[in-house]
Amino acid sequence: MPGHRTKGFCASAAALALCAVLAGCGGSGESAGGGKIVLRYTWWGNPDRAERTEQAVALFEKQHPDVDVSTSFSGYDAYKQKLATQAAGGDAPDVMQLDYRQIDQYATGGVLLDLAEQKSVLRTSEIDRGLLATGRVDDVQYAIPQGRGTETVAYDVRTWKESGVPLPGKSWTWSEWADTMRALAKKTGKPGATDPGQSEDAFEVWLRGQGKALYTKGGGLGFTAADLTRWWTFTDKLRREGAVSPAEQTTQLDGSVENTPLGRGTSVTDANWDAPASGFVALIPTGVALAPMPSGEDGTPGQYFKPSMFLGVSAGTGHPKEAAQLVDFMINDPEAAKILGASRGIPVNETIRAETGPRLKDFDKTIAGFQASLEGKLKDPPQAPPSGDNALQSTFQRDYDQVSYARMSPREAAENYVTEAKAELRS
Amino acid sequence: MTTTAIPPEARHAPAAASKRRPKREREGAAWVFLSPWVLGAIVLTLLPMAVSLYLSFTDYDLFNPPKWVGLRNYVQMFTEDPRYWRSVVTTLTYVVIAVPLQLALALVVALALKGMKRGKGFYRSAFYAPSLLGASMSIALVWRAVFNDGGTVDNLLGTGGWVNRPGWALLAVALLTVWQFGAPMVIFLAGLQQIPAELYEAAAVDGAGKWRQFLSVTVPMLSPVLFFNLVLQTIQAFQVFTPAFAVSAGKGGPADSTLVYTMYLYDRGFVASHMGYASAMAWVLLLVIGIVTAVLFRTSRSWVFYASEGDR
Repeated sequence: MPGHRTKGFCASAAALALCAVLAGCGGSGESAGGGKIVLRYTWWGNPDRAERTEQAVALFEKQHPDVDVSTSFSGYDAYKQKLATQAAGGDAPDVMQLDYRQIDQYATGGVLLDLAEQKSVLRTSEIDRGLLATGRVDDVQYAIPQGRGTETVAYDVRTWKESGVPLPGKSWTWSEWADTMRALAKKTGKPGATDPGQSEDAFEVWLRGQGKALYTKGGGLGFTAADLTRWWTFTDKLRREGAVSPAEQTTQLDGSVENTPLGRGTSVTDANWDAPASGFVALIPTGVALAPMPSGEDGTPGQYFKPSMFLGVSAGTGHPKEAAQLVDFMINDPEAAKILGASRGIPVNETIRAETGPRLKDFDKTIAGFQASLEGKLKDPPQAPPSGDNALQSTFQRDYDQVSYARMSPREAAENYVTEAKAELRS
Repeated sequence: MTTTAIPPEARHAPAAASKRRPKREREGAAWVFLSPWVLGAIVLTLLPMAVSLYLSFTDYDLFNPPKWVGLRNYVQMFTEDPRYWRSVVTTLTYVVIAVPLQLALALVVALALKGMKRGKGFYRSAFYAPSLLGASMSIALVWRAVFNDGGTVDNLLGTGGWVNRPGWALLAVALLTVWQFGAPMVIFLAGLQQIPAELYEAAAVDGAGKWRQFLSVTVPMLSPVLFFNLVLQTIQAFQVFTPAFAVSAGKGGPADSTLVYTMYLYDRGFVASHMGYASAMAWVLLLVIGIVTAVLFRTSRSWVFYASEGDR
């Protein structure tokens, strides 16, 4: 029957065409080149971290000849957006680096694999219980913390010394910090610091110094528009005085150390997390040192030890075992630990921390020493931020842009932010 | 369509029974050959459009199943979101700056190239090249570097970095588009060459100078092409994304000054994970572009001149 044949032909041609269309967007974990398993591993960071990661991955590939790890990395902002798109499209990489802010959303959205399923290849016995629990949502271990980090004031040692302003001590309050930045700006002719007004992290430290928090236990907003107005009034004034970076420079921040004023050589200090601060070493060869974050006026510390970042495995990976092996390698392998150093924070594996700690070199040693100096002095970390925080981090920076370009008063911008935040946290 | 597609010999086929079969077989074959494109249209265009329309009535965070919220996204957009309106104003400003500038530049260059005797090919390619390159991310990044503080423009004009100034950043973005005037230029050039030389000769005999000739011969004769370019470039300008995205490093900054409509749409969808809201924005954009195009067509009746009209 010619009629039928045509129909059948039609259907098969249609099926073929559809296959061709779908083949273009194959899922993750397909095998390629010589029958090897290909694992996609993505992370954010800087060239320093990239170099060490590549070395560690090469070692992993040597130990697992049947696995080929394809890595990719970018700056934090770009990474965050790309990963969200991939995850939404069901195309999340097999192994992905995650931030504290992403865990909740990704876990509840079904993107991440329950790592208990891969217990046999992924050891967690040597990780501090409390720290390990930060990767858990609803009692399921979705991610493993990779390191411990804390915020710090990184500074250009030579410029600071030459200015004649006394070097920072073991602690300072926000008003002492502000006076120091003013003095630095006056002596060096460039702003003392990156304008901290744009940073939700710096705001959190300031807020905690007053015994408050970004979020309440129930995941609501832990501060009022009045709190934020005070913070932005404080930073706005410093900016107008030239003590912190001007709007034109602040707006270029994208989460990479290269685009901070300190990284560009246009300021003396930068508040940052301690692990990425190692990226400054390559940018400021004359020396970088770390000082603690300012505390509240009564000496209450605002900074805290935070899991610096996590590793998670995609729920849709075709090779859960190999992916878990890679995670295990990055966290528990002593050789990998030697290569990685403190580039992702001080290692979480206690044996490794004890073993490699004294052997850390160069800036890794600086970071370890800095953390040791804070040990026992800090308050407990806050619980993991609610899902909406992921978007609010950008909103915070953007709303502050309106202040630093003098388009809104600190009060107007703060009220805007609180309105937006409340809407974001409700949905 | 079916009747015109039948070749004459089929129409004259003798028996009714044999007349049908070949037609159906031909249709079948046609569908087989068309299937990749039909499927493409359905899978890659119609289906996503339908899904997006559905999503625009939902709350969808990309990770959890969409929740039906009716018209809430649309209501929120129009009544509770100042940033939405900021993006609308930014986009309109951009369209008003970029489109006339680009068309004017395209026309001027086309006129200059038309009369050129030697090196025509070279100049045409040279002016068209930015249109091929300009859409790429790399050029947009170069643009950012040029207009950044400490960049070329800063050094030459001492105006500081444009991309870091709320008042100037949008202009830097518009200039990137204006610079890509190659496509309308080529169309203008083709249009100019269609104008009969006799008209200019006749005008010259009547004592018309170059300027008069331009106004009385070139402009009316070129008006259909001008209209075509205007519609096309306006539609494109409303959808501007890449230059704004690259020049502001994906943020629409400084201080939301380059937050064009599609950037905000992207921000809502992929940064804030509000896909439902982003979808609603997309549909409003489609509607607005439709309306603007319709209005342009309306006004065209009064200023576009088709040579064939004279015959009627």
